[in-house]
Parts: sequence; structure tokens; C-alpha cells
Amino acid sequence: MSSIAEVVPLAGASARRPGTRRAVMTLARRRFALTARTPRELVVPLVTPILFALVIAPALKTALHTSASYESYVALGTVGLLIPLNTLFLGIGSIVDRISGARRELLAAPIPRAALVLGNVPVALATTWLQVAALIAVARARGIQFHVVGANFLWFGAAVALLAVAFAGIAETLAARVPHQEEYIARLPAIAIAPWFLAGSLFPITAMPVGLTWIARVLPVTHALALMRYGLLDDPSGLHAVWRMGSAAQAAGMSLAVLAAFAAVLLRVAIRVFSRSATV
Amino acid sequence: MIEIEGLTKRYANGVEAVRELDLVVEAGEAFGLLGPNGAGKSTTIGMLTTTIRPTSGAARIAGQDVVAAPLAARAASSVVFQEAVVDAALTGRRNVDIHSRLWAVRDPQTDDVAKALGVDELLDRPVSTYSGGQRRRLEIARALVSRPRVLFLDEPTVGLDPRIRHELLDVIAGLRDRNELTVLLTTHYLDEAERLCDRIAIMHLGRVVALGTPRELRDRLGREIVEIRVDGDGDRVLARLRERGIAGSDAFSVGSTLTLPLADGAATDVIAAVDGLELGVLSVGVRRPTLDDVYLRLTGGRLAEAA
Repeated sequence: MSSIAEVVPLAGASARRPGTRRAVMTLARRRFALTARTPRELVVPLVTPILFALVIAPALKTALHTSASYESYVALGTVGLLIPLNTLFLGIGSIVDRISGARRELLAAPIPRAALVLGNVPVALATTWLQVAALIAVARARGIQFHVVGANFLWFGAAVALLAVAFAGIAETLAARVPHQEEYIARLPAIAIAPWFLAGSLFPITAMPVGLTWIARVLPVTHALALMRYGLLDDPSGLHAVWRMGSAAQAAGMSLAVLAAFAAVLLRVAIRVFSRSATV
Repeated sequence: MIEIEGLTKRYANGVEAVRELDLVVEAGEAFGLLGPNGAGKSTTIGMLTTTIRPTSGAARIAGQDVVAAPLAARAASSVVFQEAVVDAALTGRRNVDIHSRLWAVRDPQTDDVAKALGVDELLDRPVSTYSGGQRRRLEIARALVSRPRVLFLDEPTVGLDPRIRHELLDVIAGLRDRNELTVLLTTHYLDEAERLCDRIAIMHLGRVVALGTPRELRDRLGREIVEIRVDGDGDRVLARLRERGIAGSDAFSVGSTLTLPLADGAATDVIAAVDGLELGVLSVGVRRPTLDDVYLRLTGGRLAEAA
């Protein structure tokens, strides 16, 4: 072993700070590497939506004598379950960081606290896209049809991205406030699954009692699913059920704005809660 | 390099972990914060590394205020934590690489630093396969690649077996040879503080109760110590010795053990005087003062017992 005094570089030669963008990229690469080593975080959230799209939707179609479009309706509806489950599962990584990982090392780094939250968002987006692509590919292989008109695909893409960011914000907020993984996981059904049932995932929101319809209208998942169906099925009924006014494009624009507001606010809250929890 | 003025931390539950701390650690100095668990050492490190917000007072790292300019203060320092703080699923090299990028190091010299710390051959293995000592070496290597002006070592040898602990002490002692690196070490091991530190602050209940070089601190208790074990209450025996003028105000007792510092005079005279009394003496010994005696004198409790 060489003498440490001979080899270690001169102290004080650095004392630089990375830009926030570079810090976020470094942290995102780190999170990618950690997520790739815990494949259950990617696979587990995919199981339930694929089961819905491939088994339950066709069974419902047969039992209820609905049309083939119902399979497509439910297949996209399951994206509204997949995204919250995926992003919330990724939030477990933040708890692991805090309890047994490198969180304190990252907090000692000369980077803004916000970078630690923002560094997880690209991973949430990338894994969400990977899983949504897998779900759609499997659904297509099962014979489920989608119908994209012109650039309407962009509505779908924007809805997927914004819903993923919104739930990434929820995941980071929850991870910063909940001390243990067990408690975190116990809260997932209430956050990811209960709203999904009210959001027009399996049936239009207008089929519910009026009170629940109004609750559905303020859920981000409702807006996201309406946009996704408009984008990938050319079906604006979800948008009309939410807004009851204007053209499909206008309604889509308003739902996108609502979704963007949710994403911005929830991410902002996540950064604030994390920063507060990181300094006692 | 580290300036602390009236630094205080009072937690929401009312516990005052650090009280009016004043310290200056010079550039290139190896400085030890010595004290038991709960003395306020880790809270002090937490405030200096900006994960704990001071209630009042100020602290500067390399001239940068830890509250007003936390990023600049963090850019000048690195920390090795008491417990393992690594991404165990990633390789050692990836852990070091992440640190280098976050500290914006252009030429991290990862392999050279790892070689100096004896972990170069482990760098491409997941950290989960490292032993405790290897992991701690990696953490020190990681902290050094960013060329910090200030290195915080928070109880760096806690939980390590004696052989690895001594190896690690050699490594940390090597850092003292770099006179441009300031080291702030917390520990409750006396031998560690004595071996590694130029100066030591003994903390007790959030306050610094003694400050100086290890020798200065020991010299406060004179040349020699007479240690007497008695059968019964040490306080009662000490009171009798004081009545007879055998023990001074600097003598103290813990349980059935009495410690009598000797600033001047001969130990043989004290032993002869004690022998002439019916005190139920079990044993008498003479030795040089240690930091443990200093701590005991100042706080009334042994470090090891308190830790």
C-alpha cells in the first residue's frame, strides 16, 4: 500500500460545485443503476395492469356482452393503475436511501436539496414509458386495437408523462414523511388503487352517482385517462364527461392544463417536504 | 479553517444538544471532539455539514457560513459517517464516481486514492461484498477524491474489530501528514483521540469542558496519579483524606475507586499516609494521568461507561 500522504491529491484543489443540471443527471444515473439492480420495482407494478388488460377485460367483455372497444377502453384504463403503482414503487428506493443507503452522503454534497428529488424524476418517466410500451405491446399482441388519428398521440404522451411526474411527486413526499417501508406500502392502495376505480378506468364516470362523479372530475387520473383515450382511441367521451362543454381539443387542452398543474404542485410539494425533512 | 461561535442546537423536544459552542480549528490541524454518546459531537458535525440547522450562533467552513452559504461550505468538505453510508448494490468505483461528479472533480484519481487506502482491487465489486473495514476504507477514499479542505470523521472506527480498527487508525494517522487537510474527528475512544489529534475538545452535555493538546490536558492532573481501591463508599473515604490534607480539591472518586492527582510531592508519601489510616484499602497504584482521568475529573463519569 502506498503512503496515503504521497498519493492523495492536494486538498483544496477542487471546492467546486456542479451545476444543478449536471447534479440531476448524476443522481438520475445513480437511480437508474440502483433500479436496474432491483427488477422487482419494475416487474411488480406491471403484473396487475397486464392481468386486467389481458384477462379481466376480455372476460368482462364476454360476460357483459360488450364490444371489442371495451377491451381497448380497459387496456388504456389500466395505464391509470400502472403509472401510480410504478412511480410509488420507485419511491421505496428513497426510503432505502435514507435507512441504509447513501442519503447522508448526498445531503453532504454541494448541490441543492431539490436536485435529490428531481434526480428521481427521469427514472420515473423512463420506467413508466418502458412499462406503458410493454403493456400496449402485450395488448396489441392479444388483439386489442388502438386508433390513433394524426398527432393525437401527443395527448397520450403528455398525459402519461405528466401523470408520472405527479405521482413521482406524491411518492417522494410520502417517502420523506413515512419512516418505514412497511408503512409506505400500506398506504399505496389508498393512493394508487382507490382513485383509479373512480377515475373512469373500467366505466365512464357518468355511470357513477353524481357526488362521486364530481370527485372523479378533480382526480388527476381521470384527466389523464380521458386524454389517453382521446389520444390513442380517438375517443373524446371521457373529456366530455369531465368538462361537459367545448370541443374535444379544447377539453383536452383544459385537462392537460389541470394535469400539468397537478404535476407542478405535487413536485413542488415533494421538494419542499424533502428539503424540510433533510435538515432538522 | 473551521470557526464556531456560540453554536447552539435545541431540538423541538426541548433537548439542548449543543450549547454555546466556541471553537476555532486551524488549517491543517487534526482536531478531536471527545465525549460519550449524547455529548453533542454528532450534532456539532451535523450542523457543520448542514444537515442540522443551528438554533443560534454561527459556523464557517473555509470562510463559508454553513447557514448562509451551505453549498459553498459543503463544497469545501467531505464526511465519513459513523455508520455505513454507501450504495451497497453499486460497485465501489460507482460510489466514488458519484461523489466525484457531485463535487465537480475533474480528475478524481480514483485508482490512486483507492490504492493508497488498499481497496483498489475491490473497486469493481459491489460494496455489498465488502467487509466492514473495507467499506470504511472505501468511504474514506470516496471522501478524499474531492480533495476536501476539511474532512469530517464521525466516529470512524465504531463497530470495527480491533485489528481493522488499528489498520484504519494508521490510515487516518497518515492523513495528518498532509498539512493542507484539516481533520475534525469525533470519537469516544481515548486512544484514538490521543493518537490522531493535535488538539482535543472534551464535550459533556453539549458543552466543551476542556480544550488543549492531549499533553496539556493530561498535565492539568500533574505528573502522577495515585489510584486507590477501597472496600466501601469511595466518597466517604475521599472526605476523610481531604480532612487529613492527603487529598486536594482535584481528587475525585467513582464508586470505590479514588483518584488523587499529584502536582508535586511524592507518591510514596501519599501511600504511606493512606496506610496509616483504617480505610479498608484493597489496592494502591501509581501511574501517569490519562485522558480518561481528565474526563473523569471534569464530568464525573468514565468515557467508556458513558459511551
